[in-house]
Amino acid sequence: MNSLSDGPKAEAITVVLVEDDAPTLWRLQDALAKAGYQVRAAGTLAEARACLAQGAPKVLLTDLQLPDGHGVDLIRETRRRFPDTEIMVISILGDEESVISAITVGATGYLLKDAFPTDIAATVRDLVAGHSPISASIARFIVRRTQSTPEPPPGPVLNTAKLTPREIDILWGIAKGFSYAEIASHLGLSRQTVPGHIKSIYRKLEVHTRGEAVFEAVQQGLIKL
Amino acid sequence: MNDHGDDVQPELPGRARRRLRSSRLIRYLLLQAVIAVAGVTVLLQSLPGPPAQYQVTAFQLTEAGAERAVTLPYFSPLRNAMNDPPRFRGHFIRPADEASRAWSVFLPRFTNGVEVTVNDVVILDSRRDPAANRPDRNTPAIAVIPASVLRDGDNAISIRLFIWGPITGFLDRIWVGPDEELRPTYNLRTLVFVTLPVVFSSWQAILAVILGIMWVMRRHEPAYGVLAAAMAVGVGQAFLQTPMGETPFSRFNVILISSAPIESALVLVFALLLSGWKWQRYAWIIFIPGIALALAGLFGNQALVRALFLILAVPMVGISLLIMAVVTARSALQRQNVASFLLGCAVTIMLTCWIVDLLSVFQMMPNRIFTARLSYSAMLVAIGAGLTWRFARALNQIDGFAGRLVTQVREAEEKLKASFAREEERARAAALARERTRLMRDLHDGLGGQLVSIVALSERGNGSAGIGEAARAALKDLRLVIDSMDDIGGDLMLALGSWRERAMAQLRPHDIALDWRAVTAQGLPVHPELRPWHVIQIVRLLDEAVTNAVKHAEARRITVRIETLAGADGLERGCITVEDDGRGFEIAPDGGAAGAAKTARGLRNMRSRAARCGAELELSSCAQGTNKGTRVRLTLPHRFPDSDGAAG
Repeated sequence: MNSLSDGPKAEAITVVLVEDDAPTLWRLQDALAKAGYQVRAAGTLAEARACLAQGAPKVLLTDLQLPDGHGVDLIRETRRRFPDTEIMVISILGDEESVISAITVGATGYLLKDAFPTDIAATVRDLVAGHSPISASIARFIVRRTQSTPEPPPGPVLNTAKLTPREIDILWGIAKGFSYAEIASHLGLSRQTVPGHIKSIYRKLEVHTRGEAVFEAVQQGLIKL
Repeated sequence: MNDHGDDVQPELPGRARRRLRSSRLIRYLLLQAVIAVAGVTVLLQSLPGPPAQYQVTAFQLTEAGAERAVTLPYFSPLRNAMNDPPRFRGHFIRPADEASRAWSVFLPRFTNGVEVTVNDVVILDSRRDPAANRPDRNTPAIAVIPASVLRDGDNAISIRLFIWGPITGFLDRIWVGPDEELRPTYNLRTLVFVTLPVVFSSWQAILAVILGIMWVMRRHEPAYGVLAAAMAVGVGQAFLQTPMGETPFSRFNVILISSAPIESALVLVFALLLSGWKWQRYAWIIFIPGIALALAGLFGNQALVRALFLILAVPMVGISLLIMAVVTARSALQRQNVASFLLGCAVTIMLTCWIVDLLSVFQMMPNRIFTARLSYSAMLVAIGAGLTWRFARALNQIDGFAGRLVTQVREAEEKLKASFAREEERARAAALARERTRLMRDLHDGLGGQLVSIVALSERGNGSAGIGEAARAALKDLRLVIDSMDDIGGDLMLALGSWRERAMAQLRPHDIALDWRAVTAQGLPVHPELRPWHVIQIVRLLDEAVTNAVKHAEARRITVRIETLAGADGLERGCITVEDDGRGFEIAPDGGAAGAAKTARGLRNMRSRAARCGAELELSSCAQGTNKGTRVRLTLPHRFPDSDGAAG
């Protein structure tokens, strides 16, 4: 993945970066700045809101644990205000506990905090290009949730009812470490359609409104009327 | 006793059903007619007699003061002639050459009693034999004539016929001849008309006891009790003797005469109950004839009882038989069950016998052999045996049911055990998941964040690249530990999926390509027994192989092949191969690497990890040639060990 220099110039691409750990913030900022992105950095939720007030960024990268709040709230607000902004979580472990809750409010995948600078830039570039990265462990978490269990499994709430069998098959393939090309050939799809399916999976996992959230909670038996 | 569900008739449209029923009725009636005709034919057959040359036919009869010549058999019109019995006088010739053989007088059938005199010496008085006194039994009589009484040539024989009702007198043909010539016929008649009824009655007694016990234990099936009562009455009638003359018990003996109507009433009730009828209060009228007769026997005189017997008992038996015929026919046609059908046939046979008996009472038959009683006993025995058989069959069914129940209980127990084990497994998995979530949160907040900070800080100063690398490795290992705690449902492929991502992230800065090949579509077999520690060992082993390739082999490409192999023993085994195109090394004879001590330690580690999981590790390395490089081939066990086999 040394294709950074071949990528499109990114002067117009603004990235809002929210991270409370200063060293991590610097290295992420460095990596993105070197790749040509225009980065607006924030260390707290309040600063992040101030950054967003300046206008819609193309990309929002945010940590979840912030000194003055939770990144999930920021993602939800951004999603509502700027539907075209791509949102990604910055995670230490890439654990589903935090990532899934971010996905349900509109995030697309995650970026590991210790990722190599080249990988950081490449991930953001892919995101801007309309690709939706999904890790094997997140795919695994989602497909495990599609399997029926007698009681709700621990961890964040996730409604997989809207996923089609084909989308679930794709998730299985990703969870097992297959590449898009391998999945496409197994399922008899064109390789190009797989990213579209993944984007659709992200959108289906998103809980859009309060009403919908309540409806889904009722459907899943989390709330009894 | 109720044949619920014996046969369920399929629902047919009205007309078809009517046609089916009428055709069934016609067939049933035809069959009964055939049975009746066959019965009459059999009854009309006369029993074989002794040689005709010994038959004495010509007699002078003195009856009611008048004397005339008659030939036997003879029906006397009298109903009661105890004081002045009809006397038959005849002659027979005993040839002189027969003197060496004993001669006998044989009377196959008479009602009610006879006294035989030869040459003015009484040789037989049947009244002393209680069995012979009963008009309903066809008891024959034989008497050896004492040699001193017999003369060569002409001998006089005289028979007095005692008649005490309730039917008219009868004297069948008689034979006088050598005892050995007459005896076989006598024995045959004794067998059929004396021994056989006793045998039947014994059976009846046993069945009465069996059915009685059955009724006591199963009060909700009164049919058993009714039949037991019928049998008990029948047994009493058969075995309680009625000697002539006035004894203190003679009044009670007279009651026995009422046994026939009571018994027939009981059997009728049994047949009704068997056909599904419920006992009604008014049904007591069935027993009125029998009770009336018993009361008459207790308080009236014998003449009254005998008169009543003819007008109460005989019609009662006939009416009972007729009702039973109708009831059983209906039951046989409606429910199509074998028991009712057989009972119907038996009733037809009895009815036939009863009608023939009646005809013979009214002297419309050439002979006077009563068979109704015999056929009735046989039928009762058959019914009792059938019921006992049914009971035994029901017991067998219960046994079978109990057996099935035991099997089902065992199956359910096993299912329960399995489900309990599953539940336990699930609870364990849930506990693990909770623990993992908690651990993750802790690590996230603490160790993880600090490690990330170390990575970030080390990148800012140039001299601390080693620290950064170590921190990154620690993060990677942390992710591996957390990842392997996830419940992957025994599908190792799910763990390898994450591993692939981590390996790719590791290889990317080194510009090493990772070629991932799942050779078999399914990848690896699913192992329900797979535990997190197995996953950690395998993933660390694979990590070790990749790290070796990166650090020591200067490889450009690493190929991971995943496949399922069918072993020689027919069991499927997963196989993971990590291959690089690096420098390779010499493998020492002890299996370790001959080169650097670090590599050797790495290989030892890999071997011990494989051994712990029960997997086989194959190492091959080639330093030169077109296929140079190192290959690590891990063959997974068919079943992962429960405990850490090679720990320590």
